[in-house]
Parts: sequence; structure tokens; C-alpha cells
Amino acid sequence: MLQVEGVVKSFDDFKAVSGANLVVGQGEIVAVIGPNGAGKTTLFNLITGQLRRDSGKILFKGEDISGLTPYEICRRGVGRSFQIVNIFPRLTVFGNVQVAVLSQQRRSYNLFRPAQNIAVEKTQSLLESVGLWDKGKNVAGSLSHGDQKILEIAIALGNEPQLLILDEPTAGMSPEETSATMGLIQHLAHTRGLTILFCEHDMEIVFSIAQSIMVMHQGRTLIQEKPEEVRANKEVQEAYLGEE
Amino acid sequence: MIHSKPLGWALAFFIILLILPSIVPRFFVYILALIFVTSLLAMSLNLLVGHGGMFQFHHAVFYGVGAYTLALMVTKTSLPIWVGFVAGPLMAAMAGLIIGWFCVRLTQLYFGMLQISLGSLVWAVVFRWYSFTGGDDGIHGIRMPPFLSSLTSSYYFILIILVISLILLYLILKSPFGNTLQAIRDNPDRCAAVGIHVRRHQLTAILIATFFAGMAGVLFVVLEHSVFPDLLFWVLSLEIFIMCLLGGWFTFGGPILGAAITVSLRTFVGKYTEYWTMILGIILILLIFFLPEGVMGYFQGIFKPRAKEGAQRRM
Amino acid sequence: MGFSVPYGAAELAGQLLVGLSRSMILFIVCAGLSFVLGVLRVPNIAHGSLYMIGAFATFSLSKFFAGSSAFWIALILAPLLVVFLSLIAERALFCHLYQREHLMLLLFTFALSLILGDLVKIVWGAEYRSVAAPAMLKGSISLLGSSFPRYNLFLIFAGLLVAVALWLFVNKTKFGKISRAAAVDRDMVGMLGINVSWVFAAAFVMGCYLAGLGGALVAPTVSITLGMDHTLIIEAFLIVTIGGLGNMWGALVGSLIFGVTHSLGVLVLPQFAIIFPYAAVVIVLLLRPKGLLKSVW
Repeated sequence: MLQVEGVVKSFDDFKAVSGANLVVGQGEIVAVIGPNGAGKTTLFNLITGQLRRDSGKILFKGEDISGLTPYEICRRGVGRSFQIVNIFPRLTVFGNVQVAVLSQQRRSYNLFRPAQNIAVEKTQSLLESVGLWDKGKNVAGSLSHGDQKILEIAIALGNEPQLLILDEPTAGMSPEETSATMGLIQHLAHTRGLTILFCEHDMEIVFSIAQSIMVMHQGRTLIQEKPEEVRANKEVQEAYLGEE
Repeated sequence: MIHSKPLGWALAFFIILLILPSIVPRFFVYILALIFVTSLLAMSLNLLVGHGGMFQFHHAVFYGVGAYTLALMVTKTSLPIWVGFVAGPLMAAMAGLIIGWFCVRLTQLYFGMLQISLGSLVWAVVFRWYSFTGGDDGIHGIRMPPFLSSLTSSYYFILIILVISLILLYLILKSPFGNTLQAIRDNPDRCAAVGIHVRRHQLTAILIATFFAGMAGVLFVVLEHSVFPDLLFWVLSLEIFIMCLLGGWFTFGGPILGAAITVSLRTFVGKYTEYWTMILGIILILLIFFLPEGVMGYFQGIFKPRAKEGAQRRM
Repeated sequence: MGFSVPYGAAELAGQLLVGLSRSMILFIVCAGLSFVLGVLRVPNIAHGSLYMIGAFATFSLSKFFAGSSAFWIALILAPLLVVFLSLIAERALFCHLYQREHLMLLLFTFALSLILGDLVKIVWGAEYRSVAAPAMLKGSISLLGSSFPRYNLFLIFAGLLVAVALWLFVNKTKFGKISRAAAVDRDMVGMLGINVSWVFAAAFVMGCYLAGLGGALVAPTVSITLGMDHTLIIEAFLIVTIGGLGNMWGALVGSLIFGVTHSLGVLVLPQFAIIFPYAAVVIVLLLRPKGLLKSVW
């Protein structure tokens, strides 16, 4: 479903990504791991269009998406959550998700019908599926950090993506919240047939739910393999141990 | 679902406004009508600034375009006045579309400064083209049809148009479009990532806002029977900005309050001193330091603490 | 509408030189505006008012000192008066806003311009004032077949002097380097142990000095009136925008474009001369919306 080949991205003299390769098959759950500064978020930004790659290919369902804007990439079925919480703080929780749903239903230009009455069921069911429906009327900026991260995911889901990219979805969460969130992600993948690409620092999570792991180090892809093989790989061990 | 309590108050207030011309002196009727016109102008700006997060720094241009369109149609053609009433907002919206199309390609400060540039060009043309627009004298003695010839009838006409416009603006703000616009204000990048074509929505908002600004311009002519280049001057643009800030730009009715306060103060203060501009400047500084959410925002903060918590972003 | 009759080379040269001297004034003022914009990221709307105060102060000071060197004394003192005023505004009020949104800073400068504008009205009244050029710069000399006012030549010279001084300042002095760094990354500068607030204050004051200087220099060539601030600030904004926000050399380029197109306009279509620079601005912005030269940030 998603293929990244030899992607390079530099900022002036700094090579943030210097040869990234990634393959994500349909329905898979794939994780990207690597020490801080390895270029994971940059890679995600390149995939979803916030940044333009210098060279290399990014193919989504066979189509080259490297030059497209985030808006176009989203319309093709890619959803994204962000590492730093990126919600709409002044809107309600319901409103946050509704924005995505309305966009998906191409109703964002609708001028005269009250938004409260549109796409209510869909938005509510989304909120329910992530466990936030009782907080629907709260202003998003007042939610706890963990809830805001979940809201992030809900917003991304509002577009009914086929590929969901999650950038450190459990960053800053407590252990209970973390396992609940990862359980949620797995559940969503199964019930909605989503393909999931995520990156994380918590290795337990990664190794427990990812079917394939890609390891990045200093902007390069080291390997991409099944979890057991990654665990046993010497280069990976060196990269991580070397950083400690 | 419109909440019944505020609606009740609004209705009562409206009825009072309807009765007023028969009980208060002429001068107050005039001031009220002026407040109505200015309110519509401020509300139209706030759609873009408060709800859309755009740096619409030269909104007055569209006000002026609407006003001058009507003025020119009445004085230079013999078309019925209704054509002018419709042409005013339409011309303003067209100007909004043209200028907006250029500005929307840029963000924030660049947007604002480009708009000042383009707007000033329009102002300069109006200011210098003596033979067509009357130059810096403007156009005076614009004839209104008999049903609008008295102050009272103008008052009612303006009030009706204002109320209709407010209802429309309210509907728009509560619609999916309005929600999307506010989302764009809060986080344009997230919107793009969610499949929203940010620029197109912003341009649509500009179209709507400039349409209503042009409408306000038309109403100005109905009230004053004249136009002058100051209507397009950048100082007025910033004054409207201040009105929105004063009233509270994240609220619906804030700009109306801001307009009312500003016009009243200007009239009242103007009787005692000719240095209203300085007073306005001092008020603005006080606002910036002590009341950045505006008057209405401040009161909302007291009565709705949860909403205030969410206001961590911006200002 | 009145197109002019075809002009000769002498007239063209004369008009262009006038345009050039006008450009120099604009450059001096806009360099200040650009500098503040670059470091503080705020377009100072009060810049026009300070320019106006510089002009009015020059009027009063040269009347007060009377005598042959009156103008020169005024030229030195007037910008200092402007600096003094801006320092008060900055230390008392402005500096408390540095943490706020840029929009608030912008609105503050607008408020300041309103207050200063009326202040001028209170102190000097609404009449037109004028300042005579100093004795040694009175009259004109013959240049390229056209008679060219000495004072305008002086303006060109002054402008170039300021340009050189600014270049030295920004590139060779420590403060210049710090302010360039602060423009790009103020947090970084703060972490280096430099008091960012003082950097802002100094940058602001320097920008205002240039505004006052521009006002003082322009005084003998125009009638000094209320409303000078409005006309100037619009032109300054346009110039800074087409030059590239925060870029002082962009201010030079923009000023040249502005001044020269205005002169051409005077030659071709006197009634609408002012449209020419505005149209030039629009054209530049259509082609290069972010300005001709790179913005500092």
C-alpha cells in the first residue's frame, strides 16, 4: 500500500533523512523505530506532504504522492496524527472530530444548515469508538494530555482513511493510558480494516503489536523485518546501545 | 437550535429599537442608525478576523466600494435604486474576490500587508479621479427615493437589513462552513491534513465578508446621502479592527458592542474635545493590556470558565 | 486627463534626480522600519508619526536656534527628540508586550500612532509649516542640462551615507550581528545569555531614530502638515513589502522603485502620478508576493 524508496531530505546542510526505505502492505501494522533524531517524524512529514523530499520515491497505492500537498494526500486516503498535539483547542471535542467528518463528506462549504444537526451520528460513533463520547461537549483545549492524543486519532479517523499514520501516539501517556490506546489502535485496525504505520519509543508496545518493524538510524533505514529478526539484529543493537 | 433565552432578549431589544424613533430626539435616531451601519461593517470583518483568523487589514476598501457603487449608480445613471442596492454588495464582493485571490496565497502578515497595498491602490484611484469619483471632495447630495427620504424611514430600512444580515451571518457561523472556518483559524495545517482546501475556504469567507461590507457601505449612503474617500482609508480599516477587539472577537455579537461603544464614545467625546483620535489610541492601549478578549469576551470568561480554559491559544 | 507633451532628456534627467532624492528619504525611513520589522517582527505603524514629529521638531528647533547653522543643529537634535519619545513609549509600555502575539504589538503601534498624531496637533496645531534649507544648500546647480536643487543633491549624498553606515553597522558591529541573529531566532539569542529585551529596545530605538532623521531631512523640501504620517506609513509599508520584510537592502530597492516610478508618473500623467508607484508595487507583488529580496525570516 505504501512504498518509500531511497528518500532523502536535507535542511540546508543538515541531512535529516538520507536514504529511507519502507514497505507497508495492506492491512498490516508497521512500526518505525529509532533513537531520537533518527528522522522518523521528518519521514512521516515527507509522506503526508508537510515537507517536500529532495529525492527518492513515495508511492501510495502505486501512485507517486511525493509532490502533492497534505490536502491532496489526505483525500487519497491517508490519515495522520501528530507527535505534538495538533487539535483545535477552541472547538469542542465533538466539533474537532466533526470538522474531519464534514470534510470527508464534502460538506464543509454548506452555508446555511446548522452544523449541530449534520453528520451527528457518524461523529458520535467515532467518539464512542475511541471512548470520548462522554466528553463531547468539552472544549478540546481543556482535555487532559492523554485524551487530547486520543482525540488526535479520532480526528484522523474522521476522514475514513485507508492508511493511518500515527506519530508517537502514546507520548506522554501513563502506562494504563498507553496500553488502552494501543489496544484501541489494534481494535480499530481489525474492525475497520485499516493499515497502520506508527512510530514509538516504547519498545514493549512496538514489539507486541507490530507485524513489521523498520529501524531508522541517523536518517537511514537500517532494516525492516519481522519483530523477532529485528530484535536479534546486530546493527540495530549497536545503534541503540551506541546511543546510550 | 437557537437558545431561547438570548433569543428572547434579542427580540425584546428589537422591539425597543422599533419604538425608539418615536420617543427619542432625532439626533439619537441618527446615531443609532450610524451604529447599525458600523455594526454590520464590524460583524463582516469579524467573520474573517475573529472566526477565520485572517489578517484582513484593509476591510474598509470593500465598504467604500459598496458605498461608491451605489453613489455612482444614483448620480451617474438613471437606473432604479434597487439596482444600486444590489450592485453595491456585489461589486464589493467582486473586489473582495480579486484582492482576496492574491492575498490568500500568502499567510498572516504578508496577507495583511499585501491587502494594504492593493487596498491603498484602490483608495488612491478614488482619491485622485476627481472627474469620476469626486476626488477628495467625494459625492454629496445623493438622492434617495421618497420612501427613504426621511431619517426615520432610513433608520427602519437600515435596521431591517441589519437584522436580516445578522441572521444570515449567524446561520453561516453555525453551519459546517462556519465550523470549518473556525477550525482553519485554530489550526490551518491540521485542516489541510484532514482534507480541507484551506485557501478555497478562506476565499469563500472573504467573498461573504466583503459582500456584507459592501452592504454596510450601501446603508451608509442611505443614511448620509454622501460618500468620500475616507471610507476607503486604512485608518478606518484599523478602527473596525479595534471595534472587533473591543467587543470581543471570538464572540458572535462582540463587534456590535464594539461598534456601539466606539461610535457613541466618538460622538460624546467629540463634543468636548477634538482629540478623539488620541482617546481612541489610549482606549486601544488599555484594551491590549487589560482586556484582550474584549468586553464581551471578558464577561463570557466570568460566566463560562470552561470556555476560557480552552482559550490558551492566541492573544 | 492630460498627458504631458513629450519631454526632453533634460527634463527626464531632472525629474529622475528628484525621484532619486525622494527615494533616499524613503530609504532612510524604510530602513528603520525594516530593521524593526526584522528584529521584532512587527511593522511599526507609529513610524510615520515619528517621521512627522521629526519634521515638526526640525521646524521648531530651527526657528528656536535661528542663525546660519540652525538647520544643522535641528538635524542633529530632532531625531534625538524622536529617540527620546520612542524610548519612553518602549520602556513604559511596549516592552511588556514582547511575549504577546504579534498582532497585539501591531495594534499597539497603531495606538501609538493615533496618540502621537494628535500630540502633534496639540503641540503644533493644524497649520502648514515650512523650513528653509540651510544657506549653503540653497539654490540649484546646473547638472546634465537641468537645474537641480542643491538640497536634493545633499539628500542623495545623505542617503548614500546612511546606507554605508547601516551596512557597517549591521555587518561589522557586535550589536548588528546580535540583532541579525535575534531576527532569525530570538530564543537562541536569549539562551546565549543576551538580554533579548534590551536588543529589542535598542533595535526599536534605532529604527525610530531613522524615522526622525528622515523627517528632519525632508523638512526643507515639503510643507510640513498633519497627515504626513498617514501618507508616509502607507508608502513605507508598501516599500518594505516589495523589498522583502525585514531586509534593509530590500528597503533600498523598494524606495528606488517607488521614487523613480513616481517621477516618471509626474512626467507622464501628473494628476495620477501617485498611481504609478502603487501600480509598480502591485506588479512586483504579483510576480514575487514575498518581496524582491529575501525576507530576513
